Parts: sequence; structure tokens; C-alpha cells
Amino acid sequence: MNTFHFSFIPLALALLTAVSASSARAETLLFRASVVHTIANGDITDGEVLVKDGKIFLIGKGLPTIGAQLIELKGQHLYPGLIAPNSSLGLVEIGAVRASVDTTEVGAFTPDVQSWIAVNPDSELIPVARANGITHALVVPSGGIVPGQSGLIALAGWGVEGMTAKRPVAMHLEWPDMSLNTTPKEHLRDASKWKSPEDQAKERRKKLKEIEDFFDEAKAYAKARAAAAKDFKAHPAWESMLPVVRGELPLFIYAEELRQIKAALQWSTNQNQRIVIVGGRDAALTADALAKTQTPVIFEHVFTLPPRDSDAHDVHFRAAAQLHKAGVKIAFGLGLGGWGASGLRNLPYSAAQSAAHGLPEAEALKSLTLYPAQILGVADRLGSIEQGKEASLIATDGNILDIRSNVKRMWIAGKETSLESRHTRLYEKYRNRPKLN
Amino acid sequence: MNLIWRRLHQFVRLGSLPLFAAAGFTAHAAPFPPPGQRPEPLGVHALVGARVVVKPGVTNENTTILIRDGRIESVGVNLALPADARIWPMKGRTIYAGFIDPYLTLDSNARPVQTTMTVPIEATSGAGFFGVPGEEKDPGTPGPGAALSTITPEFRMARGYTPDAKALESLREIGFTAGNLVPNKGILRGTSAFVLLTEGNPNELILKPDVAQHIAFDPHAAGEDAYPHSLMGVIAAIRQTLLDAQHHDKLKAAENSAKPAPFNPSLDSLKPFLDRKKSVIFEPGSALMVDRAARLASEFDLKSIIVSSGQEWRRPELAKSANAAFIVPVNFPALPKLPEPDDWDQATLDQLRAWDWAAENPALLRREKITIALTLHGLADRKSFRKNLQLARDRGLSATDALAALTTVPAAFCGLDDQLGTIEKGKLANLTIVDGDYFDPAAKLQAVWIQGRIHPITPPAVPVEAKANLPEKNADTKPEKTDKVAELRAALSRVTANAPSKFRGALTNPPAILIRNATIWTSGPQGRLLNTDLLIIGERIKAVGKNLKAPSEFAGKGLLEIDGAGLHVTPGLIDCHSHSMILGGVNEATLPSTAQVRIGDVVNSETENIFWQLAGGLTTANLLHGSANPIGGQSAVIKLRHGSAPEDLKFAAAPAGIKFALGENVKQANWGEKHTRRFPQTRMGVRTFFQNRFLAARQYQSEWEEFRKKGGTPPRRDLELETIVEILRGERWIHCHSYRQDEILTFLRLMEDFGVKVGTLQHVLEGYKVADEIARHGAGASCFSDWWAFKFEVYDAIAYAGSLMHQRGAVVSFNSDSSDLARRLNLEAAKAVKYGSTTEEEALKFVTLNPAKQLKIDQRVGSLEPGKDADFALWSKSPLDSGTVCLQTWIEGKKFYDRTAAASRAAGLRKERDALLDKARKVIALGGSDGASPAAQAAFFREVWEHARDQHLHECLDCKGKHDKP
Repeated sequence: MNTFHFSFIPLALALLTAVSASSARAETLLFRASVVHTIANGDITDGEVLVKDGKIFLIGKGLPTIGAQLIELKGQHLYPGLIAPNSSLGLVEIGAVRASVDTTEVGAFTPDVQSWIAVNPDSELIPVARANGITHALVVPSGGIVPGQSGLIALAGWGVEGMTAKRPVAMHLEWPDMSLNTTPKEHLRDASKWKSPEDQAKERRKKLKEIEDFFDEAKAYAKARAAAAKDFKAHPAWESMLPVVRGELPLFIYAEELRQIKAALQWSTNQNQRIVIVGGRDAALTADALAKTQTPVIFEHVFTLPPRDSDAHDVHFRAAAQLHKAGVKIAFGLGLGGWGASGLRNLPYSAAQSAAHGLPEAEALKSLTLYPAQILGVADRLGSIEQGKEASLIATDGNILDIRSNVKRMWIAGKETSLESRHTRLYEKYRNRPKLN
Repeated sequence: MNLIWRRLHQFVRLGSLPLFAAAGFTAHAAPFPPPGQRPEPLGVHALVGARVVVKPGVTNENTTILIRDGRIESVGVNLALPADARIWPMKGRTIYAGFIDPYLTLDSNARPVQTTMTVPIEATSGAGFFGVPGEEKDPGTPGPGAALSTITPEFRMARGYTPDAKALESLREIGFTAGNLVPNKGILRGTSAFVLLTEGNPNELILKPDVAQHIAFDPHAAGEDAYPHSLMGVIAAIRQTLLDAQHHDKLKAAENSAKPAPFNPSLDSLKPFLDRKKSVIFEPGSALMVDRAARLASEFDLKSIIVSSGQEWRRPELAKSANAAFIVPVNFPALPKLPEPDDWDQATLDQLRAWDWAAENPALLRREKITIALTLHGLADRKSFRKNLQLARDRGLSATDALAALTTVPAAFCGLDDQLGTIEKGKLANLTIVDGDYFDPAAKLQAVWIQGRIHPITPPAVPVEAKANLPEKNADTKPEKTDKVAELRAALSRVTANAPSKFRGALTNPPAILIRNATIWTSGPQGRLLNTDLLIIGERIKAVGKNLKAPSEFAGKGLLEIDGAGLHVTPGLIDCHSHSMILGGVNEATLPSTAQVRIGDVVNSETENIFWQLAGGLTTANLLHGSANPIGGQSAVIKLRHGSAPEDLKFAAAPAGIKFALGENVKQANWGEKHTRRFPQTRMGVRTFFQNRFLAARQYQSEWEEFRKKGGTPPRRDLELETIVEILRGERWIHCHSYRQDEILTFLRLMEDFGVKVGTLQHVLEGYKVADEIARHGAGASCFSDWWAFKFEVYDAIAYAGSLMHQRGAVVSFNSDSSDLARRLNLEAAKAVKYGSTTEEEALKFVTLNPAKQLKIDQRVGSLEPGKDADFALWSKSPLDSGTVCLQTWIEGKKFYDRTAAASRAAGLRKERDALLDKARKVIALGGSDGASPAAQAAFFREVWEHARDQHLHECLDCKGKHDKP
């Protein structure tokens, strides 16, 4: 598909020349790939992308090469960089080594905790994720009920400030567990901790009330602040909640089980709060309600074993397709914590497995690029190969959904980024070990 | 008051003191009764005109029973009533032989074997085993006996027995007159004592001490920090103890032995059971372990009786093949009262099935022609006994069988059928008397008689207010209530749930199969073939090639032809590292060496994992013990023959294996601060430990060689060392969990010193750094495709490791170590193509031929070659393409998975669950859960070992959950 009208090229070219002249560190790149996957506007076979000052300027075929450095990607595919919309990347190095873990803060309500300031830019996990095409990751604090704010990082750059792409991206809420604890009293270590189903129901209502209260108080704070009340005392926690209650900052809710998701949807409708469901194990069971409220889902359970013994074996392989069919926008995640962070390079294969089980391939690609960009509020800059967006691109030697493919090159905001990692370094070192004789 | 007192009074009154000696009381003549005591009755009774069920199936109307001195003197119609008899008119009443519980517990804390998960990893203590610093001088319980505190076969219930009036009354109220009191703590628990359920002098009330030895498969018995702490550990401990007892006996029998038998009351006490003089009663705790109990009994030639878990419906054929009588509980789960409709979403199909099947279980066992006795065991609310018995009756347990199960059968189990169980002359006068039919819960129990003495049953007092309301209320509500009760009984009288076997087993088993024009990945010398045919005859591959023809004998009959155009065929995938089908704990984590425990004892044939993994093309799995100790347990290779019982899952041709482990897990690096005392705590100590055990095994080996040469008393069999000897002899292959390059080399070198070739290095994350050494040793490398950074020792793990080791000449496989990855090992193999450019054909071998080589089963499986097992999978696309889907999975020429059939199977499971939920709602609406005890309601959610699906996620030290929020 070729959406670019060639008749516009002279005009665009004139603009390009003008821009080049005005910038001292102007750099113009012309990418020529076997397939350009624009994501937004289909694929272009033997397509070209002209990048100027880190931004995509033109997309098409037979673009003018004047002044541009040609990047020939023969036999390769060009995609926008992949976006991981929920991760602990940079907050954890080795899950089992406590000193290297910065994922979880103490306290139930800590909205003023910010993730991006604690990212270790030199974490060995970052280049490993990058090596398989991930250019951006949302770094999310965990713990409690409202653990704080997330920020989006580019997986290359000098220091945390150089890497931070957007902050804050969202406020996070971990929906309380609403499952019925069915452990018999005599099986508990401490029998006094046992609660009857009735007491558990009461406790669930109490927990929900707690969330409601917190948001009501946040609203009251916003009101008091707006009225500039005389004895008004500012507090960073409530300050952090202002953009949330004003509807400026999205609220990401971790909810897995059907009852949690239903309750979160109900609550958000009552509060008139736009939310994103994260985790979403049982989301497909309430797909219509999610579609109706236009609630996107960051689905993290493609490879989770079926939770119910009456489930089909492929229930989660098919879940994304079901959500898509119902009209729910989806992105994929691998969960918070060290396991998800060290395995982040496998993110595309959640989409691939979903594609093998009914999710249209174009949708699978969008769920790794454009949809997470939209969900994170950065679709004006990232997520597709479109004019005006950042040139965060990856070149692969095959379909990015196919495990056998490799990412050959990567650019973040037009700047080529190394794909070397701890893994490639160790591989090079030991493949060159002299053979034992 | 006891019998002797009564008789004494009687004799005194009759002035017939000379009879005193004749009656046989010379041994312990009772003292002359002190004044002030209530005079004893004569002890002669005539129960006249009753309906007497003299034994199961024989009922005589208008019958009289004469009782004298606690025994039945005569039974008959129109008996002459003796002048000294007290007359008891019994018209309208039914008299049964007094009921007997053969598995009685009076301790309110006693519970059936718990099938909850054991706590994953615990410290080590207790037991005179090695590896514990400051090894106890007196291990086990204080005093002489076994080294484990849970092995107390010398314990006698008779010794501590004192009657507890309240407990006894609750038993008499439901018709019980006698019971076999069983010990309820430990694994080899001790002996039971048969008691009359009345108050008095214990010396008189115990009819028989040491009725049977009791063995329970209870991994919780040892507490959290002692061996054994897993189901397989329990089995191993039982096996070792019984061997020790046999050895002990031999030592004692040996004349002039250089090594006289030490004093050991534990082992001494087991002799009558090993000599088949007395029964052993097993409480296996779960349906699958019934089979294990039966096999243990036959291994040691024990006379055995099995206590049912109430769940034999899961696999009735195992109960049948156990060839033993059963003691069956009626502790049926009740529907829980849940406050919110959503709460029911959590009720699993298995829980609903367990609820629905429960009452069927006694009848089901009878239909299998199994002799059963009933027990109150596990029934927290004894008052529900008769109601539950009615449920069981409504499901087909006949009145005769039910009565036998309460009288003659338990009497025989306890060897007291000459004294109890029927209403016949000479037997003890133990009677249960009902106003009507006992099996109608509404019929009032009038009295029980125990040894000729009446114990009236007082009906519970009705409060005055309730009484006042009664007539009116009755008039209004009774008809409706009766309808409801009838409707409820009708609803509960039929089983709605399916037998688990319905959704399992081979789908087709054609005599011959011809797949045409497929892409065939042979994983053998023929490589990958396009447009090729695969011919299978029976269980084996006949040919792979172009334009094959099936032998004429199959033409038109029996030949299944599959059009393979556009499809791919691979050998069935093989997982060299699985924990997915293991019952009751993956780790026996307590001791540093548990070579004696066997995964083969606890293979779980019931878990859904089998089907889920078949759906990913998997046909063979190496079930491994966890990595909590340097020497773990013995492994078991299985084929995923869905529906088969555990023993039939086993891959008979696979050589024996054992799990070893190195590094952080075994040195308890991530176990928490509490765990710093078990040897080893360092990688230095790991080597020392192995050396120690292998030297010990060598010494053990030479002791046996000596014995074989010279004869004499055989040495003690030590199952731990025996297993290590098998390794030394090359009869058992080591699968060693290993991470760092130094520990890998150290381990290989040490094994080389002992002349041992290692089977596989498992995980072997830094194996790529010493790939040449691994290849030269000849160990296989079975790794994760790309796991890293979850522990410090995996910081240098790289995804290129598999390819690199392959390039250097090691036999490499990718394993799952996860019930998830086992569903898609083909896609794991694709990572060898991605990382390190292994060719596609070689990459597929990482999950087919190479694991077969590593497990030494490549003569049978792993490639599609003539003569090999017809284990294969059919794929929609290349097996390495992320877009591929497994369409069919075949094992030995039988189809066990079919994608289309799987969809209807899932629909069937959903439908069944919906039907069961409907039934549950109806039963609740009809009041079926009213008055159910909290314990019965809690039992609805009881965890069942067989049903566990992701057990390893809790237990595997290498696989933290996906959401491992610290």
C-alpha cells in the first residue's frame, strides 16, 4: 500500500531544504527497506522513509536522495520501535538480590512516588531488551494500592534525564484482591486469620470504600486548592493526584480476575474516570463491557496457564483475538518484577502467539507499537512510521513476530543505537575461546 | 461399673459362690462390693417381639433376644422367657447388631491425611541422617526407636486409652457400640485398639489391643522442618523402615552374629505385620495413592486394608486392582454458603465434581465388588452421619451392604467376627435399636446395648417455645416441606458429574496410518523432506518416503489416510526437564541427599497439564525432582498417554535417572536467613558432600560384595546408598542442575574420578563457557532457551548458549522446567535459530532427537525413522514459525490430541460445570445446605493433589512466577 502522493514531493522537498538550512546539526537519513511497515498506513514494498533531525519527514517510494545519507536495508523490514507499556525495566537487576531491586515502595497510597528517577541507565537488562526491537518501555512502580507514577523511557540516552521520554505517563492503582479465600481454617498456619465468606465480602466492600475515599479526598484537595482556601497546606501526595482527578493523567489499574475488572469498570464509570486495565487475565470474559467503555487493556497473560479447570487449553492464546473482535484496544505486557524485565525481549511473541490464534497480524503489530503509544499518550511521537513522528525505528531480517527473525539495526529519535548487550559480548568472548585440544 | 462387678453381685445374691471359680474369674477376683454403691442389675434381659436383623440380609419379625451376662443367650420366635429376665417389650422396633467403626478417632484434632500442598522449602532437622551439624544422638522421638519422629510403629493406642463419656455418647447416639481406635499422628503410626464404646475400666473395655498397624501417607506429619516433607519422601521413609524391620529380624535370627541386633522396639513391633499375622491399614489420602499403597503392600507382602479418601471415583479401576478391602468415610462435602453470586465463579469443575461424586463413592466401590466398611473418620459433625448414609443409599448403596459395612465387615477386619457383627447366640450383646428403619434418618434411635447393658438415647430436649409453635407450624408447612425434602432427595440421587475418564484417552487407534505429501521433519538422517509420506503400522513407524503404499491388508479397512499437503510433521516433542505431573510436592527439600525418594512413586496421571502439553505436540517428559538438595530424588520418564494410570504413563524402556543440583539452591542461598546450618552452604562444600556420598556408596557396595562372596547375614539395605551405587554401576543417569562454569567443571571432574559419566547437565547456564569440556566428558546439555538474571548465578546466562554448546559438539536440548513452556517447546527451539544461527533442522532436534539421546531413549523416540515409536505431531506451519498451531498429537499410533476435538472437549467441560452449578443452586434453594457444618462446607474447597496444575510454580526454585513482585 502506498499512501503517499508523489505530486507532493517537490513541495515537501522544498520544505526539507528549508529546514536543513535552518539547523546547524541537521542530519537527513533516507531509509530504503524491502518492506516498510508503517503500521498506521499499511506496508510499502521497497519503501523509503526520509528522516530529518530525528523526525520522519517523508514516506514513500523513490524519494529524493539529495543531501540524505542513504541507509540501505536490502532484504530487511523497517518497523517503528516496539513499546513495552508495563515493566520494571531499570528498577531491578537481579530479582533474587535484594540490593538490586527498586520496584516496590512501602505504603498503600504513595502517589508522589515516581519511577523514572530511579531507573539505572546502565542496567544490563536494558540493552538485552533493546536487542530485540524494544525502543521504549514504561517503567512502573509497584506495591500498595496507589504505588505512584510511571514514566516512559527510551532504551538509549545519556543518564535518566536523557532517557526519559515522557513523565509522568500515568498514575497506577493496584486493584485489591477480590477473590474468595477458600482455604479451610485448619489449613491456615494461624487459624485466627481465617475469615468466613461473609466477612470476606465485608472486607472487599471495605477495600473498595478505601479507594473511593482516597479519590474523594483527592477531589476535595483539588477543590480547596482551586478556591485558594486561607489555611490551605500543600502536600506532595495530593499534588500528585491533581492531574488524575482533573482527568489530565490517565489511571492504569492492575486488575486480573473477572470480579476485579468488573469492579474497576464500575468504579471508573461512577467516578467518571478514564482508565486502562493492566494485567487483564480475565478481560476477554467481559470484553463487551470493556469495549463499551472504550477501556484499553494491557494484556499480560498470553502464556499464563488456564486459570479454570473447565477452560480450553488455549483460552489465553485466543483472548487477545476475542478482545479485538469485541472492539477493545490491546497492548501486551509481561508483568512487573525482575522476571518480566529480564524477559522483556520476548514481548513480541505474546502478540505472535495471539496472531497464531486469531488476532489479525496487522493488529498484532499495532498492539506492539501504535496501540501502546496511544495508551501511553505518546502517539503523536511514537508507535508508527508517519510524518512528523520520531524516527524510532528497527530494521529486521524477517517478520518481527517470527522468533527466527533478528533485529539488525535500531534508531531511537533518528540516532542509531547499538544492539550489543551483555549477551552478545559474552557470546563473542566465548565463541572465540580457543578450542580445547 | 464393669462386668465383673455385675456378675459378682449376681453370684452373691444367688448364693452360688462355688460357681465363681467355674465361671473362670479366679485370675482376678473382684473385691467384695463396698456398701453405698448402686446395686448391679441381674444382667438377664429379654428383648421381646422386635424386628431383628440378625445379620445383613436376614430379618426376622416378632423375635426375642435373650441376653445373659453380656452375651446373647438365644434368639428366636416364641422363646420361653426365663424367670430372672427383665422383660423389654420391643414391638415396632428394629434391632441391629451394634455398629462398629473400624477406623475410629476420638481426638477432635484428628483429621484425614491432608492433601494440601506442603510448604515449599524448609529447614533440615531431626533424623539420624547425615548432613546435619551436631547430629542428634537420640533422633526421632525420645528414647529408643526409629530415627524419624513420624515412624512410631511401636505406639499402642491401647496404652493411653481412657474412655471419654462425652465422645462416647456422641457415637452411641448414632448407633455405634464399638470401634477400632486408631492412632492419628505420624506416618507409621502404631497399632489400633478395639474398644467398647462405654464408660468403665479400660482393662475391660479394650476387647483387643494391637488390632492393626497404621500407615498414613501424610507429608504434614513430620512438621515443617523434618524429613519427610513430601509425599514421595513419605513413601521412601515407609519403604526404608519396612526394609529395616526385615533386616532387624534377620539379625535377631542370625546365630553367632558378629553384629547382634541392637534394641529397637520400633522395628521389633513390625514383625507380626511383616509375617502377615496381622493387617496393616493404609490411609493413602488420595485416589492415586491407593495404587501406591497396594503396591507397597505387595512389595512387602502385607495383609492390607485401605482407608478410602472418598475419591475413588477419580479412578475406580485403581481401587479395584488394589485387591484389598476398603474403609470408607461418609464425610461428604456440603455446598458452602457464599454471600455473593460471583463467589461461585471460584468453584472449579473439580470441586463441583468432588461434591457431586462424594455420596456415590461407597456404592461405586461396591459395584467394583470391593468389600467395604464404613467409618466416621473425617466427619466433623457426627450428627450428619445418618443423613449422609441416606445420600449414599440413594446413590445405590444397598441396605444389606450398608449394614454389613457397619457390622460384619468391620468385625471381620478387626478379627472379632466371632464376637461381634451379628445377633447370634454366644456373641456379645451389642445392639442398636431403632423405632423403625435405621436408614431412615427420621426414625428415632431408641437405645444401644453394649455388652448386655442398655444405653438409652435421650432425644434432644425441645425448647418450650418451639413446642408451643409446633402444631400450628406443622399444619401449615409440613406438606410443602415434605415435597421439598422429596425434591431435594431426588435431585441428589443421581450423579450429574462425568467420570474424569470421559474427557481423556486416545481418540483413535487405527491399525495403520498414511500421511501423504507433508513436510516431514524427521530429526533423523533423512533430514527435512518435502512432499513426503509417513507410514505407520500399529505402534511403530514403518516408512518415511515418497509415494508410500500401505500393505494391502489394510486397504479399505483400518488404514487412516491423512492429507498432509501444506502441513508439517515432526517427531513428538520431548521435555528433558519437567515437574508438571508430580503428586504431593516436587522437592523433598529437607535433607541434602534424598536419593531414596522416587518421582516414580508419585506420578500424577490426573492433571490437566498432560492435555495442555499434548496440545503443544509434547509426547514425552522427564519428570524430575526439584533442585533443593545436592542429591535429589529419582526421576521418571513418562509418555503423555492421556487417560492412563500412573504406572501406564511410565516409559518402560527409559533407563533410570536421578536429579542432582549445584549452586545457589542447594547451598540455600535464597532460602532466607533461617537456613544457614545445613551442609553444604558453599560451592566448596557441594563437592565435599558429593565425594562423601559416593565414597559411602562405594563402601556400601563392597559390604554387599563381601556378603555375596562370603554369605552370612546380609547388610542393611540403604535405599539412599543403593541408588548411588546404581549410578556408580552406570545403571542410573545423573541429571544435574548446574549454573556456573566452575561448579560444572568441578562436578564433571569429581564424577570422572568415580568413573561416572554424567547423563545431562540441566540448565547449565554457563555451560557455554566450558562447552568443550562438557562435550569431551560426553554429558548432554539441557538448557533454558533464554532465561537469565533471576538469580545472581544466572547473570551470565545468555540466549546463545544452546547454539554455542551445539557448535562445540555437545548434545543440546531445550527444556521447559515450566508447565507453560512445555506447551510450546517448538517455539523455544526456534530461539536456537535466532540466537547463534543453528540450522532449523538442528534446532528442532533440541526438542526431539537430542533430549531422546540425553535420556537414552533415542532407540525408540526422538526422530521419525522406521522402527521407532509412532510418536508425532502435525502442525499447520513450520514448527519453528511463531504462527504455527499444533493440529494433532499421536503417541504409539494413537491420537491423543486433535485441535477440533479439543474445542468440543472444552465445550463439554464448560457444559458439565454449568450443569453442576445449576444443580448446586437448586440444592441450595431446596435447603440442601441448611445445617451443614462449617467443616463440611469447607471441605467443598478442599485442595486435591491430583488436581494441582501449577505445583512447580510454588516449588521450583528456578521459576519465580511471572508477577514476581518482591
